[in-house]
Amino acid sequence: MTLALYYHEDYLLHEHTPTHPERRERLQYTMDQLREEGLLDSPAVDICAPEPASTADLHRVHDGEYLDRLRYMSRRGEGQLSVDTHVSEHVWEQARLAAGGVADAVEAVATGTHPRSFVMARPGGHHAFADDGHGFCYLNNTAVALRRVQATTDVDRILLWDWDAHHCDGTQSIFADDPSVLVMSTHQSGRTLFPGTGFVREVGAGAGEGYTVNVPLSPRTGDDAYLRVVEEIFEPIAEQYDPDLLFVEAGQDNHFTDPITDLGVTAQGYARLMERAVDAADELCDGRLAASLAGGYGIEGGLPYTNLAVIASLAGLETSNIREPALYEPPSASPGVERVIDRVKERHGEYWDF
Amino acid sequence: MHVGIDTGGTNVDAVLVDDGIRASGKVPGDRDNPVEHLLEELLDGQQAVERVVVATTLLLNAAVQERLPACTNVLVPGPGLSPERAFHGEANHVAAGCVDHRGRVTEEPAYERRPATETVAVTAKFGTRNPEPERELRETLDSDAASVALGHAAGPGLNFPDRAATTVANARTAGTFAGFASEIDDALDTVGVDAPVYYLKGDAAMLSADAMATRPAQALRAGPAASALGLVALTGVEDAVCVDIGGTTTDVTRVTDGFPVTEPVEAGSLETGYDGVRAVDLPLGGDTRVAADGLTGRREGHASAFGGDEPTLTDALSVTGALEDTGGALDSEAARTAFESFERPRAVAAGVVDSYVSRVADAIASVAPNATRLVAGGVLAPSLADRLADAAGIGESLVPDHAAVAGAVGCATARVSVETGIHIDSARGTVTVSALGTETEPVERGRTFDDDEVATLAIERAREAARRAGAQSDTEMPVNVRHTRRFNVVEKARVAGQVVDATAQVEPGLGVELGGDR
Ligand SMILES: [Zn+2]
Repeated sequence: MTLALYYHEDYLLHEHTPTHPERRERLQYTMDQLREEGLLDSPAVDICAPEPASTADLHRVHDGEYLDRLRYMSRRGEGQLSVDTHVSEHVWEQARLAAGGVADAVEAVATGTHPRSFVMARPGGHHAFADDGHGFCYLNNTAVALRRVQATTDVDRILLWDWDAHHCDGTQSIFADDPSVLVMSTHQSGRTLFPGTGFVREVGAGAGEGYTVNVPLSPRTGDDAYLRVVEEIFEPIAEQYDPDLLFVEAGQDNHFTDPITDLGVTAQGYARLMERAVDAADELCDGRLAASLAGGYGIEGGLPYTNLAVIASLAGLETSNIREPALYEPPSASPGVERVIDRVKERHGEYWDF
Repeated sequence: MHVGIDTGGTNVDAVLVDDGIRASGKVPGDRDNPVEHLLEELLDGQQAVERVVVATTLLLNAAVQERLPACTNVLVPGPGLSPERAFHGEANHVAAGCVDHRGRVTEEPAYERRPATETVAVTAKFGTRNPEPERELRETLDSDAASVALGHAAGPGLNFPDRAATTVANARTAGTFAGFASEIDDALDTVGVDAPVYYLKGDAAMLSADAMATRPAQALRAGPAASALGLVALTGVEDAVCVDIGGTTTDVTRVTDGFPVTEPVEAGSLETGYDGVRAVDLPLGGDTRVAADGLTGRREGHASAFGGDEPTLTDALSVTGALEDTGGALDSEAARTAFESFERPRAVAAGVVDSYVSRVADAIASVAPNATRLVAGGVLAPSLADRLADAAGIGESLVPDHAAVAGAVGCATARVSVETGIHIDSARGTVTVSALGTETEPVERGRTFDDDEVATLAIERAREAARRAGAQSDTEMPVNVRHTRRFNVVEKARVAGQVVDATAQVEPGLGVELGGDR
């Protein structure tokens, strides 16, 4: 089992502001950890160099006018898409390279060059809409990737599980009326966190009705509660949807040390979640599983360990010793998830059997 | 004047070099105090010896023959992948403690067990970002641990499982190296040479004796490194396959861009992160015993032509009339007599020469499939170079003057090379430099560095490390700054400092040009 790990030094170039939470050492400390673990020199991992997404790739998802605007702003190296989403001179090239990395990673799995893949890219993509960006996102990497493999390979039906702490508002809007991509998002409820969307009642529209599944969680939700959501919502729907490929948008901002969210997942929890994704892919789609880093701002106590956990799970390595140093104390209690599970089952009972 | 000494399986060779080769000699390694006798013969007391550089195959032989002591591998893995990935000892003990990626001790180190052996390696994850936990654990070990190697002294860079393997290799080779080094010191004392002593590394650069003592596994490939570098120095070749024909073994190595090609070294059960020349080491040489059915792969003594009792490859060359001048007294009658025990002496002799040539040709094909030039060293080089080149399909073969002592020439012409890693974390207020060991020193908190400052610092620290390893002048120290990165550390929404990484290497190369220009 060799995992394709897509990474490029140019993913470090873009900076919003010197103290912005979405900054390059999110990747640097993780790469240090992977290097020191010996993973980057190990047969378990192939380091793969991404290519920038092509113009055709971008036009499958984004409006030409928005692409022109973003390229122009980036050339000038200034401006903002929103109060916290800055455009630097590196944004255009780096966002294309991030989208291209995710697309290459999904393609590698779709065409069978690697059984599984993971992308360590910046910037993220899931808050980018067809015609605008915000939430530290410019191009919707995942949408660009999934549209490319649908256009160029025999993969048709894709199950997208976005477990980032933030609701994937951009991705949801792009696939809202499309049953060929089922978007399931588990996130901290929009009542307490940006972007304020992703409620149970948002289920997709038109032909896509029932193919958008939102599971908004209370602050401090921890490992066991997440695993219950996996068992009671994710797994039954995944089985019935029967995808050709599983994609996980693996945001690491559910970690209990994350400074801009309020969830309670541990590194061990991340290892378990990714193991469940691996099992689902093995069972439903010949193991085809691609994943990408999304958010995650617990730069010191979170990312090195959570990224290691998901990468080790994907690479089929032992994960039992992966945890945060004792310096960081996980929350002792998690709120229940029975109520949200019931509400999802009730709303989606119309489309799926539970 | 540089003295180069190559102690191989059969002979000990030495040369005196300044801007050319002033003297050379060869004695059998099995006589008493061969180094002492050889130096007495070569040095007339007039020359001022600036340095003595030694290569030995002793460590490699001990490793390949599994004669090295067993090691207890004490690990401080902290959280992460399974510690078993770093289990390279005969016993492996997992200790408590954690150093994180910024070198902070996030869990206190504690080792509750006793090492199972006298040879101990201690390696902590991220130990090259903070050496203290390894040092603390060393203090808690019983004093009867004969040899303790620490991971942070193995070299710079991040790769905990590899560093553990390398540290185990250093611990296991330390005793053999120390014994050998003290014999060399005694021999030099006896002949009155009081110059700094260096040892050749497997990558064909050298380190001071003190520096080598903490990481002796670097010397595992010193034998083939010495001959490859010597042949480069003698011929000036840029691209070639090198064949060094010794008494017991034949080493095939490759030179590209004027220097031997290297790879990470493994030997016997040892794995190291150290580069050593890529070599195929065939167990065949001039003293290899010949039996009726061919080469035995064993050495039992000298060739009959050189006073031995048994027929050998050298004798076979003599019997077939292919033995060229060997630079010493040769008894071709004895060679013929030795072969008379066979029913068809000439056929046996021709057969073993053919078989030797074809086995070396196979090795050439694997090491340097596209080589267009062959350079040969060793006493038998003039007798075999052309045949080897023909068999390997190589158009040109070269046997330089002094080819018989190429390994000793390689020692005398080597220079110091050290790799240095620098990790600045000005938010923590520390600079950690890993070269011959890892040391942490303070830096002004919050200080920032620009690219030029980083490069200057890297060059400075690399030269400092090279000086500590014995380099004597800046001209011997071309520095290659290989990698830098820089980013802000943000704490509580403020820029609290910078993290900067750089790797710099004082590069291996020829310390003395002998004027070869091929
Ligand atoms: Zn997020």
